[in-house]
Amino acid sequence: MKSDGLAIELRGLRKVYTRGKKTTVALDGLDLEVRRGEVFGLLGQNGAGKTTTVEICEGLTQQTAGEARILGRCWRTGMDQEIRARIGVCLQETRFFEKQTVRETLQLFAACQGRGCSVDDALALVSLQEKADARQSQLSGGQRQRLAVALAMLGEPELLFLDEPTTGLDPQSRRQLWDVLRAYQRRGSTVLLTTHYMEEAQVLCDRIGIVDHGKLIALGSPQELIRSLGADTVVEFSVGDVNALDEGAMRQLPGVQSCEIRGGKVTLTVALVHTTVPPLLAWLAQRGAELLELATRHATLEDVFVARTGRHLREEESA
Amino acid sequence: MNMPAVFAVAKLSFREFFRQPEAVFWTYGFPLLMTIVLGFTFRPAAPPLIRVAVVASADAAALCAVLAKNPRLAVAVLDAATADQSLARGRIQALVRGPSGDLTVRADPMRPDAELARLQIERALRGGDWQGPHQEAEDRPGARYIDFLVPGLVGLNLLGAGMWGIGFNLTEYRSKKLLRRLFVTPLRRSEFLLGFLLSRLTLLIPESVVILAFGMLCWDVPFRGSMVAASAILIVAALSFVGLGILVASRARTVEGVAGLMNLCQLPMWLLGGSFFSTEHLDGALGAVAAAMPLTQCNNALRDLMLEPKGLADVAYPLCFLSGFAALSFTLALRLFRWT
Ligand SMILES: Nc1ncnc2c1ncn2[C@@H]1O[C@H](COP(=O)(O)OP(=O)(O)OP(=O)(O)O)[C@@H](O)[C@H]1O
Ligand SMILES: [Mg+2]
Repeated sequence: MKSDGLAIELRGLRKVYTRGKKTTVALDGLDLEVRRGEVFGLLGQNGAGKTTTVEICEGLTQQTAGEARILGRCWRTGMDQEIRARIGVCLQETRFFEKQTVRETLQLFAACQGRGCSVDDALALVSLQEKADARQSQLSGGQRQRLAVALAMLGEPELLFLDEPTTGLDPQSRRQLWDVLRAYQRRGSTVLLTTHYMEEAQVLCDRIGIVDHGKLIALGSPQELIRSLGADTVVEFSVGDVNALDEGAMRQLPGVQSCEIRGGKVTLTVALVHTTVPPLLAWLAQRGAELLELATRHATLEDVFVARTGRHLREEESA
Repeated sequence: MNMPAVFAVAKLSFREFFRQPEAVFWTYGFPLLMTIVLGFTFRPAAPPLIRVAVVASADAAALCAVLAKNPRLAVAVLDAATADQSLARGRIQALVRGPSGDLTVRADPMRPDAELARLQIERALRGGDWQGPHQEAEDRPGARYIDFLVPGLVGLNLLGAGMWGIGFNLTEYRSKKLLRRLFVTPLRRSEFLLGFLLSRLTLLIPESVVILAFGMLCWDVPFRGSMVAASAILIVAALSFVGLGILVASRARTVEGVAGLMNLCQLPMWLLGGSFFSTEHLDGALGAVAAAMPLTQCNNALRDLMLEPKGLADVAYPLCFLSGFAALSFTLALRLFRWT
């Protein structure tokens, strides 16, 4: 069967929220395939539809139209129990029973899951051993988040959904979670995660999908996406008087793919530094602009993200 | 059925309960306090005084003296307006208007104590020494009002603690989005609700036993029938009320909403469930409604078992009724229940 290699298969997914006369289109015909064994990252601005997508996959939200196949099965076709036994979930916002300790909460969910790793292993996974006997109400935000992640992994699921798992985590905890997820993937499991940290997506994800206004607008490995910019170097500089500059003219300089002026700083994505920088300096000198700062770096996912969801998109819309 | 999960949910609910001191008080302390207060109010003692007013007139003082010969009456002279107002507010049970040759007794015949007042006034007017037939006070244990009251309070308490305890928590968990995360685990609704039911049941039964024991020790309330049958009744009644609580809370989104629904269910049972006065004699539509209430069945069965030497066979009907009610409400709740 064709979809055998797919952990998640979404076809023409639509979700419309209606309250009274007001309707919000959260998903507008989203197609997505997540292969078994990969770590897939969903990126997108606030309100893009990431959580809606993930919650439809988790069976929490019902789509208005379209099809969602999770591990080859659809929700609400009598298979719910089976799917739930095979997935692990970390919601964007998880609230727990306030009066229960961390250990008690884990024990409850372990009993519900019915299989998987021990409570102590789950505690170790997110380094919460010290807080095992603290009540929910005594945990810090990051500690709660780590508990939510531990709960998702408790049943050793084939497919893990993590909605912004590292939001609120300190750098160490974040890196620790990345290691845990990689180890997890090595065992053949699949991960679908959302994040606002581009670095995280870049180092952790095998493939990335960018969602915007309820649609998938870019898909590929981090490298593919960066290459798709047509330029993998970024030149950033600032001058005394930004208003003296003109975007259109800068785009005409050799090798420049895109240009953005924001907060007194100019960002150019270019194919090759040595073909662009000399003419740029000449051009600036000719205008009498005083160069305050100049730096070059490799393009990152963030540049892709800004290019895809930021100015370009709006320019296309208005065009 | 994943029994470890059911027990895990039961434990969860237990801990959530016992780690909230105020919940423990309102569930255990308050009903017991209410029992004690009501019990002392209605314990065997000198009968309460009947308050009567004489409307001020020329011979009011003389009339007053005649009435005062009856020790059950507390008599006062009031002007016409005040007397009327006092009667309307229930501060007095009857008023007597002269002249002495042609007396009028005014009282609301719908109030039971008004008839009593009329009777005592007539007795006083016939002359202080007139006793009528011999009077015998009913003070045998098992026939007093307190004996009637204690089983009723047990029932009332099962109703309140059973419904509130579960309905309130379920709705709170739902409105705070606590149930969403449980929903995405393989836990079934039936397992989740059964866990809650178990924990509530283990809280309710000891509570009833405490009230019963208190009545028996402090006021000599008898227990003449089968304890096994009474335990069975307590269990199915608790199941009925908890089931009703789950049903009412199966979809409510806010705590305020569920509180309204709870009151809607409970108020008719407070009035017609036979906790404070017997509703067994009611007939017609009201009687049918009363008989269809789980509280009525629970109260009547408990009274049968405590005040009469009755056994399991005698309470077969209420036992079946309550079991059926519990099964029905639980089944319906299972169908209607929403996690989010
Ligand atoms: N229950 C709801 N009722 C109405 N509108 C909703 C509801 N949930 C989400 N939306 C709307 O749907 C859109 C997508 O929301 P979603 O939560 O999927 O965004 P997101 O990509 O996860 O954003 P974030 O990065 O902020 O988490 C938003 O415009 C949001 O306002
Ligand atoms: Mg979100």
